[in-house]
Amino acid sequence: MFALIKREIQDHIVYFIGAAVFSAVFIIMSISLIHQYDPKVPPVFSIGLGIPAVTIVIFGICAMGATQMYLDKTRKISALLSTLAVSRSRILLARIITGILAILILLVPQTIASGILLRIFTPPIPMFPGMVFEISLVVFLMAFACYCIGLQAGWNSNPLTPSLGALFLTCIFIPLILIKGFGVHIVVILVLFIAASLIRTWRTFMTTSL
Amino acid sequence: MKPLIKGLALNYPVKVFATGFVVLTLLSIPLFWFRFLCESSLAVRMPDDAKGVSIRPSGLVPPELEDDPNVVIHSIVSASIHSELPQSLGIFDYFIARFPGERRSNVYFFSSERDCMYFDKKTGQIVRFYTDKQTMPDKTTREKIVQLYIGPEGVSETPGRTLGRFIEPIIDRGSARDFILYDKKLRCFFKIGFNQRTVIKGPKLGKDFPPHKPIQIGQLSKTTFELHYLDWTPPQIKVPDKKDPNRTDLRTELKPIIPTFHDCDAGPYLLVLDETGRVDLLDKETLEFVTGAPELPGVAGRLPGPETYFGPKGSVTPRELLDYEVWPLSLTTYFFENPEEVRVTFGDPSFLFKRSPARVERKYLGMFAAGLSRDGTALALAVFDENGREIKTEYSRLPKQEGRYTTYVESSKAVFFGAPWSPVLTIGKFLAENLHPPILSVASYFTASAFEADAGHRALFFLPNSFIAMMGRERSENIAERFMSALWFILPSIILAICLAWRVSKDAVVVGLSENARMYWIIGTLAFGLTAYITYRLTRPKITLVTCLNCGKMRRPDMAKCHRCKSDWHVPELTPPAWRVLKGAEEVDGGSTADAKETVAE
Amino acid sequence: MDENVIKVENLVKYFEGRCVLDGINLNVPRGCIYGLLGRNGSGKTTIIRILLGLEPPTRGRTFLLDAESTELSARLHSRIGYVAEGHNLIQSYRVGRLIKLCKDLSLQWNDEFFNHLMETFRLPTDRRVKELSIGMRAQLNLALAMAIDPELLIFDDPTLGLDTVARRQFLELAIDLIQQQGRTILFCSHILSDVERIADRIGILAAGKLVVDCPLEELKERIKKLRIIFPESAPPNLYLTEIINQQIQGREMVITVANWNKQKQTILETFKPSSCTEIPMSLEDMFIECTKPNPKYIES
Repeated sequence: MFALIKREIQDHIVYFIGAAVFSAVFIIMSISLIHQYDPKVPPVFSIGLGIPAVTIVIFGICAMGATQMYLDKTRKISALLSTLAVSRSRILLARIITGILAILILLVPQTIASGILLRIFTPPIPMFPGMVFEISLVVFLMAFACYCIGLQAGWNSNPLTPSLGALFLTCIFIPLILIKGFGVHIVVILVLFIAASLIRTWRTFMTTSL
Repeated sequence: MKPLIKGLALNYPVKVFATGFVVLTLLSIPLFWFRFLCESSLAVRMPDDAKGVSIRPSGLVPPELEDDPNVVIHSIVSASIHSELPQSLGIFDYFIARFPGERRSNVYFFSSERDCMYFDKKTGQIVRFYTDKQTMPDKTTREKIVQLYIGPEGVSETPGRTLGRFIEPIIDRGSARDFILYDKKLRCFFKIGFNQRTVIKGPKLGKDFPPHKPIQIGQLSKTTFELHYLDWTPPQIKVPDKKDPNRTDLRTELKPIIPTFHDCDAGPYLLVLDETGRVDLLDKETLEFVTGAPELPGVAGRLPGPETYFGPKGSVTPRELLDYEVWPLSLTTYFFENPEEVRVTFGDPSFLFKRSPARVERKYLGMFAAGLSRDGTALALAVFDENGREIKTEYSRLPKQEGRYTTYVESSKAVFFGAPWSPVLTIGKFLAENLHPPILSVASYFTASAFEADAGHRALFFLPNSFIAMMGRERSENIAERFMSALWFILPSIILAICLAWRVSKDAVVVGLSENARMYWIIGTLAFGLTAYITYRLTRPKITLVTCLNCGKMRRPDMAKCHRCKSDWHVPELTPPAWRVLKGAEEVDGGSTADAKETVAE
Repeated sequence: MDENVIKVENLVKYFEGRCVLDGINLNVPRGCIYGLLGRNGSGKTTIIRILLGLEPPTRGRTFLLDAESTELSARLHSRIGYVAEGHNLIQSYRVGRLIKLCKDLSLQWNDEFFNHLMETFRLPTDRRVKELSIGMRAQLNLALAMAIDPELLIFDDPTLGLDTVARRQFLELAIDLIQQQGRTILFCSHILSDVERIADRIGILAAGKLVVDCPLEELKERIKKLRIIFPESAPPNLYLTEIINQQIQGREMVITVANWNKQKQTILETFKPSSCTEIPMSLEDMFIECTKPNPKYIES
């Protein structure tokens, strides 16, 4: 399993580097924004800047899922791996774990940095109890859900279907955050959506010809 | 575990449900935005005349003030709809609700780090920071930051278990000074005095009638970012121009007949909103509810129910209103040492006086209450006197000129057809609701009242603000007739579902699904409409059919027998030779040796 | 443990409505060298891909090492070495990286043997796979398949692209393997001289059916090509069954018959031919006879 994950990471290293760079950029942005923090004023600027930034990042994660599956299909990577001491389920699991790792590399440093910055720069009163955790959790689940959309759309020989299809579906799906916010409702919807998407992807990958 | 996961992934019904959920989610989101666009456009386009309601005179001002001969403009209370539907979207609601002072925030107010108050969940105590001016021995003043910890058992500058724990406190949001607090779990009112550092505990609420379940006290409003404006103006008198006091007829300005302070002061009482929508009066001294006459709906009054599309609503609960606001009106009389010096004001602006009055009399006059309907298109404004009797209730309506007569259409109806392009938007909303799965629309009918009003604007799978849900909330007597009438609103959806079910049924026969599977798909398509049809197209067996030699219809090659005529398999395009050379010499496929002997004999 | 390492039961495969395999039944016993032959498009590669779980069957079942092909575990895969037609390797990888990947993913790896093969084939490790020639890719594929010390080897035209020397090296390697007990080999090839050298059982696919499935020596006994000269013109019908091919020219008749036996001999003798000589056939000759379409003798 480790060898499979290592292979996936090496093949898609550009996404990991991008995730690390974005994470660093966001942390720097957060440090600069926190100096303008005024608890009496709603953080409109931060939210206004955060939403498109999160959207771009999520598109990138979706593209990673689509790329993983598209390259596999066109370069017949799984066809080779399946003939080695590896099962299809392990190949797919390694792929999904790689996607999760990329998302974690993107989000975990930001979450930690946000927590530390809020602790340092905000008054020692519970202004945002649990908000950092809730927002991070929803962003993680949304990114993972869009990654699953990419996995589904990517298993196609035609390059247009993964790119346009994934883009279209992600454009429809991301505004769910605007509709539901960051509460428990969206978490439930995202968890169910991720489970359903993974079941679909799993079944397609396990029964398709390689 | 492994066989379970494998079984789950490869099981056809599991695949169908998984695909169905994905399709339902991805289809519901654009439908939501289309409905949102139509509803917000309708709200914005609503005629201005239909957005406001006023009552003049307000009815609560004492006659000696209201009927004063100097009054040129009588008191007026008004409310208007200020539609900002995006506030109901989840992301805005999430952040707004956590802003200091809002319903999900534990910070009651925050001016600065040195002037704020919050509830510390860990210790169960309220923490108050404020700045106090201390006079030093050398007559200089010094600012000192005071930090107080308030629990049910007392107030102290140091935290400790001896102060006790609050569990779920709600406070008067409008008060920054000494205030009253109610704990939902302890079911008790507390009066907190900062200067005296005291906590006075009221009696525990028992199971009296009517039962009390307070949800808000003091400043009663759903949001501080208002969806509607409630405004009250006292009687106005003309004041001569200061530069030329004699010229009152030309240059004059208006001012209130007596000084007015717009606070939420109810005199000696505090307003308490119950979860049933009833507004009670709490005596600030005894911390007990004022009891009124049994026939009255509430001691102070109740939230007014706006008119819906299908008629007026009687009583409403706070959950059923998108927004509400209640303003009490009180008259405060200040007696100073000089007996001739008496000041009367609306509200309690005592902190504005340089000298402390010798005696203060506070009188509760009544309250104004406004309620905004669930969909944000209808407003009700009610006035209640000091005994809780309803003086007057007005509803937002659109005046329509019909010849010499003026008729009034309810704003909840006017929004759909009363403005340019509103019929188109109404039809758009209707069509968007009919693309939704019929079963979810029917479920919306039955769950219409279960959703809180603002949560309904964020609903994705159910439609609490749809036309069918409006019918579901109506309280007419004949339930069956009401339900059948409601089905008319989703008739296009039902017709679409029937057509799609017919197509699915035909295709299921072609692709060779079993009878059971076909039946389930028909039922599923009738229930879920377009969602089920798309799911079927994505999950149907993807096999290229071949022509059956026996019946001539298309059959599935992965089945041993034709699923139409049950005949065995033939592959006419392949013509293998008759001979075989397999394993041992006696195993011969094709002609037998007995046949060959007969042929030779002939 | 089943004696048969490979089992195919009533295998049917359709591609886009076109039937390729129509009810194939095949058993390969342990230790057997099985040569699966057929013309282009006859379904050899399809059978192999279905056996390895790379392709789902339309109908029927296949088994490898007592496990159904659709449920092959990683451990079972580690006992199978596969050389694909076209040498399915990850083209963008460098040879060294590909070797490391295969090594990391295998449960057992014979480093010494693999290095010996790499030296024998003289394969560079710093070049990308797509930069190698077809022959070098074939050698690399072969080396990777052999290095895991497999119990079952499946070769799909393994010598495609190999030069004569490399082909000879492969054959010698295969013979070495044969001599190791317990190895089973299933291979397809168009170079029938190679198959004849090493296979001990043959299967031939034609028109979606397995028309031949028997030991090689037995095949040579059971398929006969005869030149028969009659005193007068050759009779149009000899009333023999299982005629694969028949050519008549005057008094001479050349006939290829399957499952030649004494009965058929007796029937022939009733026509009193002047002479009857057997034309020796190599495996290639037999293959051509079996797979050449002959409309006269096609099953009606």
